[in-house]
Amino acid sequence: MTRRLLLFCVLLTAWGKNLSASTATAEKRLQVAIKNVLDIAQSAPSDSALAESIGPVLEKYLSFSAMTRRAVGPGWRQFSKGDQNEAIRLFTTLIIRTYSKKLTPGEYPVIKFKTATAPAPGRVDVPTTLLYRGSTYNVTYRMEQDEGWRVTDVVIEGVSLIANYRTQFDAQFKKGGAGAVISSLTQSVARPQ
Amino acid sequence: MKLLSFLLIAATAVPLLTSCSSASRKAPDAPAAAVGGLSKDDGKTVQGREDDLDEYAAASVADPLEPLNRATFLLNEGLYTVLLRPISKVYKTVVPKPIREGAHNAFENIKFPIRLVNNTLQGNFQRAGQETGKFLVNTVVGVGGVMRPSEGIPALAGIPPADTDQTFAKWGIGHGAYLVLPVLGPSSLRGTVGLAGDYALNPVSWVSIYFGGYAWTLAIPSANSLRALPYQMDQYDAATGDALDRYLAARSAYIQYRHAVSLK
Repeated sequence: MTRRLLLFCVLLTAWGKNLSASTATAEKRLQVAIKNVLDIAQSAPSDSALAESIGPVLEKYLSFSAMTRRAVGPGWRQFSKGDQNEAIRLFTTLIIRTYSKKLTPGEYPVIKFKTATAPAPGRVDVPTTLLYRGSTYNVTYRMEQDEGWRVTDVVIEGVSLIANYRTQFDAQFKKGGAGAVISSLTQSVARPQ
Repeated sequence: MKLLSFLLIAATAVPLLTSCSSASRKAPDAPAAAVGGLSKDDGKTVQGREDDLDEYAAASVADPLEPLNRATFLLNEGLYTVLLRPISKVYKTVVPKPIREGAHNAFENIKFPIRLVNNTLQGNFQRAGQETGKFLVNTVVGVGGVMRPSEGIPALAGIPPADTDQTFAKWGIGHGAYLVLPVLGPSSLRGTVGLAGDYALNPVSWVSIYFGGYAWTLAIPSANSLRALPYQMDQYDAATGDALDRYLAARSAYIQYRHAVSLK
């Protein structure tokens, strides 16, 4: 009995250590990602230059395939491989455009990192507070291990980016399956800014 | 002029992403599944790559009036584009940032009764006490709330505000039907009653209530609306920008936000 208890304690400690190593690694990765993005925002001479140069950085630190899959939901299984690739491509374009519009060249938000948590193996939530243009926002970055730690969702003041798109994709999918989802994404991406 | 004042005053209450509070109980108005959480309704943990597709179930709220709501939403969008957004831009251009921030702080400070009463109704007496301390410090040291010295005092910093809709949520009352109110935007049956509660508790509205009939009484609520407008337009654009369906995006953002507020 004592031996089992001891084994349990050892396993628990090892798991705890592993968990804290995961959260530390994920948080470090996020810090690097945010610094890279902010450096670009700081040095970009114009909005268009910012949008152009930020794309490759976001593709490095965000898992667009996981984001698209989750945003579509169970209907994803009914997408053909070609539809899946097209949906990922369009959603990536949309997210990069949305993200780059939120940054103003030359403006630096102040970000404070809070204690990260691991809700499940391979996943880490990193809560932060972001002070930008005089307002403070609670922003949580959801990260997963996908060729290294990558962001799979951003939750601002309780509003999840992916859950928000999920509501919209659901409606499109019910209307006309994968075709309707891709068509609405195409229209959204083509919309002039 | 009176119509413009009304629109401005009404815009103050745009509830899309305004006011919040705290406590850790689970609220009754939770979205269909925990957003981004790992637990599904059956309580099993989901770790598989494919099974986690169910994780972000769409935030649910009854929307029996969707056709009417969509029409009101379109009307509001037109109003924001034609009138409120240009006013917001002019205000940001004409009024220097320090004055805008000072006005914003002062009007937020004066909303103290909303936070005090709702924290008390939620049984959160510690937070009600903190709010009182914060109000006193900001009013006395911060020159009528124009500055926020309370942010430098750890015990008084970062207190989540409280509102009436949140109190209803904590009492176990559901959203009821989703509503898009003219000018005000996304709300619900519960949110609309909550809005009325907040209005009654806001000292800014007391001026119009007690001195109604005089044109000058519109000045204070109009100024309050004006200072809030840029923030509300920014929040609205953030929630609906690049959406496939702006109506659904705004509804989802509203429900998710109110859910998050009810958990604080």
